[in-house]
Amino acid sequence: MNIKISALIDGEGSQRELDEALAALARDPQACECWRLYHLIGDAMHGHGLLSREFGAQLSERLSREPAVLAPRAIRSRRERNRWVALSAAASMAAVALVGWLAYGPRGTTLSPAPLAVVSPKVAPAQGPVADARPKAPARIPLPSAANDYLLAHQIYSPRVTLQGLAPYIRTVSDEVVEKGSR
Amino acid sequence: MSRRIARALLTHSFGAMLVAAATLAHAQKSSDPVEWLRRIYQATHNLSYVGTFVYQQGEQSETSRITRLTGAHGNIEKLEALDGEPREILRTNDAVRCYLPKSQTVKVDRRFDHRGFPTLLQGEIDGLTQNYTVALGDNERIAGYSCQVVVLTPKDNLRYGYRLWADADSGMLLKALTFDDEGRTVEQFAFTQLTIGKVTAAEVKPQRTTAAWHVEDAEVAPVNLEREGWSVEAVLPGFRKVVEVRRTLHSSRTVEQVVYSDGLAAVSVFIEPLTAQDKPARFGLANLGATNIYTREVANHLVTVVGEAPAASVQRIADAVNYRQPH
Repeated sequence: MNIKISALIDGEGSQRELDEALAALARDPQACECWRLYHLIGDAMHGHGLLSREFGAQLSERLSREPAVLAPRAIRSRRERNRWVALSAAASMAAVALVGWLAYGPRGTTLSPAPLAVVSPKVAPAQGPVADARPKAPARIPLPSAANDYLLAHQIYSPRVTLQGLAPYIRTVSDEVVEKGSR
Repeated sequence: MSRRIARALLTHSFGAMLVAAATLAHAQKSSDPVEWLRRIYQATHNLSYVGTFVYQQGEQSETSRITRLTGAHGNIEKLEALDGEPREILRTNDAVRCYLPKSQTVKVDRRFDHRGFPTLLQGEIDGLTQNYTVALGDNERIAGYSCQVVVLTPKDNLRYGYRLWADADSGMLLKALTFDDEGRTVEQFAFTQLTIGKVTAAEVKPQRTTAAWHVEDAEVAPVNLEREGWSVEAVLPGFRKVVEVRRTLHSSRTVEQVVYSDGLAAVSVFIEPLTAQDKPARFGLANLGATNIYTREVANHLVTVVGEAPAASVQRIADAVNYRQPH
């Protein structure tokens, strides 16, 4: 199975092998561990820095906003060969999705700008008709300097305060959060 | 004369107490989840209490004290931040005052209609069930109180879900957790200590303010944005317009504000001219717990959308803001 996962990372192998590898990743924690390890080795060999903790969550979020590709490019199969380890990790679209899915962590609380996913041209979405119903993923910015004023003006009309009393206002008074976010 | 006394009694908290007592007796045996929401609302409004709670979002947590005095002369509620810079917020029947000792400022905000704070009407609680499935969970203990868990699960991914812990006896909300469409906690409030009753007027007074503090009193007036050329083309399903005002922000800036709500979550759209000093304003999404803030530029105006709703919902409302030169 490790060879098939390696092939998947390289974007190689037969369709059947790839399907098997994807199926294994979906159910087998050992396969996931293997997947993670191969990428770690690849990153170490290429001298890539470690990703931020929220990388996976943010990538997943952005992927979920990507338009559906109605005409995906067929995966070209190459001649089969054994690979003992995956180093040239040029991931396919599915693989990118899996990284995001596997590395899913707590999401949405970061105040720092999201790291941009570096995607090789090989995995760019295919040209063709797309169904783009969702908004594009927005840039992450720090809280606006007037965030407290907006929150104060907003919360006075929030039914949440009706249900919970003044407690939600604690978000409003946190000057420090705004200061931290602006840095 | 006696009729006047009776009326005075009824219009003050006595009437509310009767309602609360009746609801309490009724709801103690109630297995109706919507009835529990009503109890929570009534407890929040009719009880006097003092307690310490922890607010948590992401890796940050903050401890605060909340004190509420319910009385015949009106209600006063005070929130004090116990961590970091000392800050206080006071709410009376018609205004919210935010005391910031660091800048020696009092920010005063009022509802434009002077109606006081929104009373959750019968219809509005029932209306929640259009957007949320309300169900009862187990009994769990929070801060020494035996609590009934009430879960509001959204019927779509446009809003967050809520898990509420209400004291089985009084209906008082001891804990509130917001979760996203994958069940992950977005933020939570939880009392660690709470005493119901026995609150004095001295306890709800601001502690640090002096007459020398700078007062920023917001001016709020109704406005018709559509007449000025602004429109929000497609409001999110289940959200309706609550209010539309022109107001001052930070004393110097004038903004227009439209609020949409689904009965529990609210989203505000702020529109203001983009001045030279605002440029380069940063456009995009910022996040603070369950609150998302999305900023964009429309027709040389800064549009800031603030809401306790998922980022995609806040962005959708922002993207629907349009300007057309009025005729």
